[in-house]
Order: sequence, then C-alpha cells, then structure tokens
Amino acid sequence: MSAVVRNNVRIRGSGPKTMVFAHGYGCDQNMWRYVAPAFEAQFRTVLFDQVGAGGSDRAAYDPAKYASLSGYVDDLIQIGEQLGLRDTVFVGHSVSAMIGVLASIAAPGLFGQLVLVGPSPRYVDDGDYVGGFSSPQVDELLDFLGSNHMGWSNTMAPAIMGNPDRPELGEELTDSFCRMDPGIARDFARVTFTSDNRADLALVSVPTLILQCSDDVIAPTPVGEYVHRHVKGSTLVHLRASGHCPNLSAPSEVIAAIRGFV
Amino acid sequence: MTEDYEDLYRNAPFAYVSLDADGRIAMANDTLADWIGCPAHDLRGQRFRDLLTVGTMMHYETSYSPLLAMQGHFDEASLDLRTADGGKFAVFGNARVVRDADGQHLATRLALLKSTGRRLYEREILDARDRSETTERATQATLATERETSELREQFIAVLGHDLRNPLASISSGARLLQRDLRPERRTRLFEAIQGSVVRMSSLIDNVMDFARGRLGAGIPLDLRPDVMLGPILEQVVTELRIGVPDRAIETAFALPEPIRCDPSRIAQLVSNLLGNALTHGAKGEPVRMRAGVDGATLTISVANGGAPIPEPALARLFQPFFRGEVRPSQQGLGLGLHIASEIAKAHAGTLGVTSTPAETRFTFRMPLHLPGS
Repeated sequence: MSAVVRNNVRIRGSGPKTMVFAHGYGCDQNMWRYVAPAFEAQFRTVLFDQVGAGGSDRAAYDPAKYASLSGYVDDLIQIGEQLGLRDTVFVGHSVSAMIGVLASIAAPGLFGQLVLVGPSPRYVDDGDYVGGFSSPQVDELLDFLGSNHMGWSNTMAPAIMGNPDRPELGEELTDSFCRMDPGIARDFARVTFTSDNRADLALVSVPTLILQCSDDVIAPTPVGEYVHRHVKGSTLVHLRASGHCPNLSAPSEVIAAIRGFV
Repeated sequence: MTEDYEDLYRNAPFAYVSLDADGRIAMANDTLADWIGCPAHDLRGQRFRDLLTVGTMMHYETSYSPLLAMQGHFDEASLDLRTADGGKFAVFGNARVVRDADGQHLATRLALLKSTGRRLYEREILDARDRSETTERATQATLATERETSELREQFIAVLGHDLRNPLASISSGARLLQRDLRPERRTRLFEAIQGSVVRMSSLIDNVMDFARGRLGAGIPLDLRPDVMLGPILEQVVTELRIGVPDRAIETAFALPEPIRCDPSRIAQLVSNLLGNALTHGAKGEPVRMRAGVDGATLTISVANGGAPIPEPALARLFQPFFRGEVRPSQQGLGLGLHIASEIAKAHAGTLGVTSTPAETRFTFRMPLHLPGS
C-alpha cells in the first residue's frame, strides 16, 4: 500500500527544500496548523498522520509492527522514499522527535537537519537519569487509557464539528481533531512512554535544533539538556512557552526559532 | 424564591474552576475544594494539571491541552482528581477558552461533574465487553473445530468409499476367475489373493469402527488379559499379512518368553497396522524387519522398512487421523492405521514413536509391563 495514502500525507507550499512535520502522541497533523503554513513560501511542506491517528488508514495498523518505535520509523522512511525526499528539514514533536532521530540514523541523506520539539529519549527515570516519570506512573497512564474507552471511543472522542475558534482556518478543518482509535492510542502510549533511545542520540550526524519549553511536565528541561549534551554539535533553545505543545500555545516563538536555524 | 448567584457558584453541584492564560487556577468554587479536600484559597495559583493524578495528567497534557488550543473547548473528558488523602475522585469535565475582542486567550473555564458511579458503570461495561470477547473467541474456536471435524468427516467418507472398493474389486474379479477351469496352483494363488483382500478390508473396517468410537469420546476400549503369550499372536498377524504380499520378505525376531498383561487383539491390531504401513510405504526390494522383546520392565515392539525417509514436517503429523503423506491414491489406507495404533499404545499406558533416516524408517511401540494402578 502507498505510504502516502496510509499516512494521509499532505503536501503544500513550494521551494527548493522540503520540510517534514511529524506529530507526537495524542494528536494528529493538525498539531502543526499554526506553524507549518509559515514555511510554505520558502519550503515544500510535508505533513502526515501516524498510523492510527487522524486521517491515516487504520486498517494498516499492525500491533506487531507498531509494538516499537521502529514501525513508525519505517513508515517515515517509506514516505521519504515514495516522495523521493533528500536532504530535508525534519520537524518532529514529542515522540516523533525521537522517531525522526531514529530515521535519520537508519536512512542517511533523508534529513539534512533535525528540529526536535520537546524531545525525550526516555520518559522513565533510570538511576541518575531524570526522565520525569516513574514506572508505576506510566502504568497508571496506561491503565487510565485502558479503562477510559467510554470517554475516548470513536463517537465520543474529543471532536469538533465546525465552529472553530479560528474561522480563518475553517476551510482546512476536517471533521475532528486528534482522532485516534482508543485501542491504538493505548498501544502508542505504551510504545512512547516505555521507549528508551538514549544510546541513539550519539549516532545523530546532522545539525540538530532542540526546542525546550519551560514547565513542560512531559519532557522536562533536564531531558532537553540531556538530549543537547548527547547530540554532537546540537543547538538548544529554551522557549518562553510553557507546557508540552508550543506549536499550539506559542507558534510564533516556534516559527522564529526554526527560521533562525534553517 | 430568589436565587443567590454567589452561593450558586460556590456550592453548585458542579465544580467550577477558572484558569489564567498560563493554565494556573485563578478561581475555584467550594465544591471543588470539598471534593479534593483542600481549602479553595489554597488552590489559587496552582496549575490545573497538578490537581490530576499522574496518569490523567499525562493524558491531559498530550491530548486535552492541544484540543483546547486548537478548538477552544473540550467536552466529556474523563479525568481523575487527586484528593488530599491520596485517593482519586472521578469527574467528567467540559472546558471553554475565553478570549477578548482581539482573540487573545484570557482564561479557561472548566466545569467538572462528579462521575464516580458512572466510572464504575463504565468499568463494568468494559469488563462485560472483555468477557464477551473471551466468549466470542471460545465460540470461534469451537466453530473452527467443528468445521475441521466436518471436513474430516467428508474426507473420511470419500476415502472410505475409495479404499473399501479397491479390495472389493479384487475379490470380485478373483471370484469371477475362480469360476473358470483353472490349474490347482493358480486357484490356490487366486484364493490367497482373495484372502489377502478380505484381511485388508477387515482391518480397514476395524480401524473405522475404532476411530468412530474414539471420536465419540469412549477412547479405545481394552479387554486386558493378565497372562498373554504374545509370540504366537504376533506370528499369526505376520502370517495373515504375508498372504496378501507373497513376494515380500518379513523378517521377525521375537524374544517373548514370559506372559504379558495386555489386550491381545489390540496389540495384534497395532502390529498389523504397523506391518501394513511398512509393506505399503517401504521399498519393495527390502525386507520389513520386526522385532519384539522385553527390556527390564518394558515391552518393545518395532517394525522397520527401507526406502525414502519421511520428511521432517510430516513426522509430527503422522499420528493424526487421516494423515496420508503425499497423495498416492493407488496404495492408500484410510490414514487411520497409525492414529489407531498410537491410541492403542496410549490405552496401554505406552508410546508409539518413529525415527526416519535414509537407512530405515522404524516405528517403535513401548509399554510398561506393569500398568500404573494395576
């Protein structure tokens, strides 16, 4: 099956270079709706949904394939192959920052630069390493997701049926934001929050920008600093924006930081 | 009456909480304070996410927060509040972002509805769904077994028709030939051939009957005798089988001086099935070698033949009913012989095993001389 269809790939903008945007756990490519358009004048932009999220083909969800990040990494590389992408700028949020790191190692030449927004190579504390969460806390999240299918079912999922707050974006609006199959959401949460890719950071060989939010409880500042220390020659920018989703809460700050890098 | 708006806010059956643009609590009502066991004024300045259990908070930060930013509201969010005594308080929450005339984010208002009972109900529904899925899987498994059995049955009937007709046709043509005026030695050979076909049909019918019984749940019935002299019984089986294949060599080596506790006719059937199998599938130019003896407290009977070895994948399935290796219809039995032999071995608390090499294929039956519990 075509990766472009499977991952609901959307291509906009034009320019000699391409910028690939990858959304993290909990949402879909709408996550980039206030950031990606700012680059459409200079870049071709490629946005996609991880399998199970947004407008992706849910029939393509194979629990064995997506039992680790490598399934998502393979998808990203396949999208790159099918679109003939070389030397692109990769912008990944949250878990997809690490998916981009892994893809850059597995497919040299695909990405010329990495922008990691709120990256975390490991969410669970381990000895001296501070990930921000204990193992039982991650289990609590997984249990919560497992027992909350009612509030998270396909028909009840947080959905918007028109009347967006920002009518200027209304025409792009699909029938909902952040749709995710509840079962897949739980699997993806498990893969995300139990991942450990600390050893891969040293293998990154392309210029890398790390955007660290203030007061991000999912990927706290020590984690961003850890990534900065372990990715050779990387640049760390502390954003004033608080929370885990600066691409939504402070898009202009994110846009400025990316502009300064590319 | 006249409603007191302030009291309505403070003591409403909903918890109300207003957050500033930074997500910190600007105001909360007494209902919320009461639910979580913390004075309302102490809540001011705290982050809303810090009121949540860690699991809920992770979900809130990754899923509900983005929704608020994008669509300005969320509805029916399942959330767990942390209570002062370390417990959880389940709520449903709706939220609305308040903006000024320029679209600047001023505040977020949340209304939370107690849903502890509802949450239990959901849990029960989920548990019921899980149970129903388990039942469904079991039903599917039963259905699959039934389908398999039904396929086996059809196969069985087809094979039965075919395999009983073959010896029957031989008997029929033999009988027609006997009507003619033949030399005595030719008559004897014809008679032996007919006898051979009768033995084969009779053994097929025995197997079919035993298989049907086994499938019906009764297992292979044994008629155990305490002191069976097996040697002569095995000789008799060999003699009967030789009639059908006068040109084949069957070498025997029996050392069975002591009486043995077993079902003699079942052991004869087991051996007959093994010999029949070896004569059918073994290389025609090589003898079939049969050995029987007692080693310590174990009776061992083995039957070996030459010819191409049995492929590895087939070995594991040899003792399943209707297993017939490659399809060579001209020389097939029902595919029940080895299955029945293996069942007879089990009924005697014994085993039937096979080894297959380019040198020989050997089936070995072993049973304890002293049956457990006897």
